[in-house]
Amino acid sequence: MITNFDKLCGELEKQELEAPNGVASPTTYSQLLAIYLYQNDLCNAKFLWKRIPQNVTSSNPEIAAVWAIGQMLWKKDLPGTYQALAAYDWTEPVANIIRALEEKVRERAFNLIGRSYSSISLDTVVAMTGLSRDAVLHLCRDRKWTLNEDNITIQPTPPTQPAPLHTSSEDQLFKLTEFVSFLEN
Amino acid sequence: MASPLEQFVNNVRTMSASGSFRELCDIIGKSDEVLQRNSAHLNTVLETLDIQQHSLGVLAVLVAKFSLPQGTNDIDKSTMFQQIHDFINNCNGEQVRFSPDLYANLCHLLTDHLVEIKQPIRGIEILKKAIRKIQLFDSQLTSIHADLCQLCLLSKCMKPSLEFLDTDVTGIGSELGGNNDSKHFLLYYYYGGMIYTAMKNYDRALYFFEVVVTVPAMVVSHIMLEAYKKYILVSYILHGKILPMPKYVSQVVCRFLKPLSVAYHELATSQHAAIKHRETFVRDKNMGLVNQVLGSMYKKNIQRLTKTFLTLSLSDVASRVQLSGPAQAESYILNMIEEGEIYAMINQKDGMVVFLDSPEKYASPETLCVLEQQMAACTKLHQYIQEMDEQIQVNPQYVKKSVGSHDEDIPATSQNSKTTYSM
Repeated sequence: MITNFDKLCGELEKQELEAPNGVASPTTYSQLLAIYLYQNDLCNAKFLWKRIPQNVTSSNPEIAAVWAIGQMLWKKDLPGTYQALAAYDWTEPVANIIRALEEKVRERAFNLIGRSYSSISLDTVVAMTGLSRDAVLHLCRDRKWTLNEDNITIQPTPPTQPAPLHTSSEDQLFKLTEFVSFLEN
Repeated sequence: MASPLEQFVNNVRTMSASGSFRELCDIIGKSDEVLQRNSAHLNTVLETLDIQQHSLGVLAVLVAKFSLPQGTNDIDKSTMFQQIHDFINNCNGEQVRFSPDLYANLCHLLTDHLVEIKQPIRGIEILKKAIRKIQLFDSQLTSIHADLCQLCLLSKCMKPSLEFLDTDVTGIGSELGGNNDSKHFLLYYYYGGMIYTAMKNYDRALYFFEVVVTVPAMVVSHIMLEAYKKYILVSYILHGKILPMPKYVSQVVCRFLKPLSVAYHELATSQHAAIKHRETFVRDKNMGLVNQVLGSMYKKNIQRLTKTFLTLSLSDVASRVQLSGPAQAESYILNMIEEGEIYAMINQKDGMVVFLDSPEKYASPETLCVLEQQMAACTKLHQYIQEMDEQIQVNPQYVKKSVGSHDEDIPATSQNSKTTYSM
C-alpha cells in the first residue's frame, strides 16, 4: 500500500513532458492528478487538469472524477470531498493513490480541528471527517479528546508537535566555527 | 553548389579541425547572407557537416534555414523540431559557447515555431537541456530562460521552470548582457512573476515583478507597464496595500507608469473600483487577480481584528468584516488558521473565537535551522559582492575614470541603447 509517491510523481511528470505530440496516456494523467492532490499541491493539479486535452478527459471519466475531488479540496468543502471520493469506482493504479489521499485528507481534518477548535459539535466533526458517529467517537478516544456530558460537544486538544530533529553537536560546532571565521575575516 | 557556399563549408571544416573557433565565428557572422541566398542547398550542406565536430557550422546553417521569412521559400518546418532536438542533444557545448547569440537565436526560433503550432509542452524538456548546456554555472541567466518560461506558461505546465526560477541569478550570459536588447531579461522576470503568481507564491512573484520595474530605463517598456499592474495586484493580495517602490526606480517609471494604471491604484481606496473599471481589468486579462484581491480584503480585515480584540463572537466578526453570517465567518477563520495566517481558537458551543498570539517562541531547533540557513545565505552574498568589487577594481575603464579627471571624459555609453544594466 505504501509506495513512494514522490518518486512516481517525478516519473509521471517526465512521461508527460516526453510524450510525442505533447499528449500522454490517460493513466499517466489520472495518476499524476491524484498524486498532486495527495501532495496537497492544488495549484499544479489545477493546471494539469486545464492542460489535459479535452478529448482525453471526455473519454476517460476517471480523470474527471479525480478532478471532482480536486475541486472540492480547492473550495475547502470537506463533506463534498468525501462524497466525491466515494462517488467513483476507482480502478488500479489510481485506486491505490485515492485510498492514501482519503486517509491524508482525514488526518489533515483531525489536525485542523485540534488546532482551531476549543469546543466543537459532534456533527461538525462527523461532517469534516466523513466518518460515522461511532467511528468518530472511537477516534476521539484515541486522541484523548473528551466528550461533554451533553453528548454533543467535543473538546479537542491540539495535536502534539512531532519530536524535533536533533542535529549533532559536532555539526553545530562546525557551523559556528564557520560563522565566527567569517566574522573575523 | 554555389562557390561561396562551398567556401563556407571548407572554412567550417578546416577551422573546426584546427580549433580556431573564434575566427570561425567571425566568418559565420559574415556569411549570413550567403546562407540565406542559397537556401535551397542548405539541406545538402547539413549532410556534409557533423553535429559533434562542426557544431558551429551546423548551428549557423540551422539558424539560417529556419529564420527564412515565411512564404519566400517552402522550407519544410515539420522536421524543424526533430532537427533542433538532435542538434541540442548532440552538439559540442564548448564550441557553441563561442557563439551564444546564434545558439539563443535557434532556441527563440524553436519557441516561436512551437507557439505557432500550439504544442508548447514539447519544447520544455529540450529547452531545459539547452539552458544547461550553454550555462557556465547554475545561476547564470541566459536569454533562453525567457523562452522556457513562455512555453511553461502557454502549456500550463509550470513545475519544470521552477528549478530555474528558484535559483537566484548571479551572472548574465554574454548574449543577454552588455548593450544588447533587454527584452529577454524583462520577459524572464515578467513570465517568472506570472508563474509564481499562478503557483500562489506571491512573495517571490512580487520580487520578480519588482525586478522588472526597477530595471534602469530611459523609456518605459510595455513589459514594464504590465509588470507594474501585476505588481500592484500582488502587493494588495500579499500586504493589503501597495508597497512603496524602492528608491532606485528610474524616473521615467514613476512619471509614466502611474498615470497609465490609475484603475489599479483606485482598487485600494474604493470597493467599487473593481466594477467601475471592469472593462480595463478584463482587457488587461487581470480580472482573476482582481477577484483574488477582493477575496483577500476579507482576510486582511479579519487579521486587523486580531490586533484589536482578544475574544469576539462569530456574529460580531461577520458584521465587522461584512460577511453574510457567523457560519461564513467561521469558515473564513478556519481556512486562515489552516494557512497559518492567524492564530485563533473557535469555541463552537458558545459561538466565540479567541485570538491567540503566535505560538512561535523562537527557541526551537527549526528556528535555529532557519537562522543558520539565513546566515549561510548572507555569507554567500558577501562573497559575491567581494568578488564583484575585486573585478571592478581591476577594470581598466573604472581605473581610468577614477584616476583621471572626473567630469570631462565620461563616455556616453548608453545614450543610444534603450536600457542598460550592470551586474
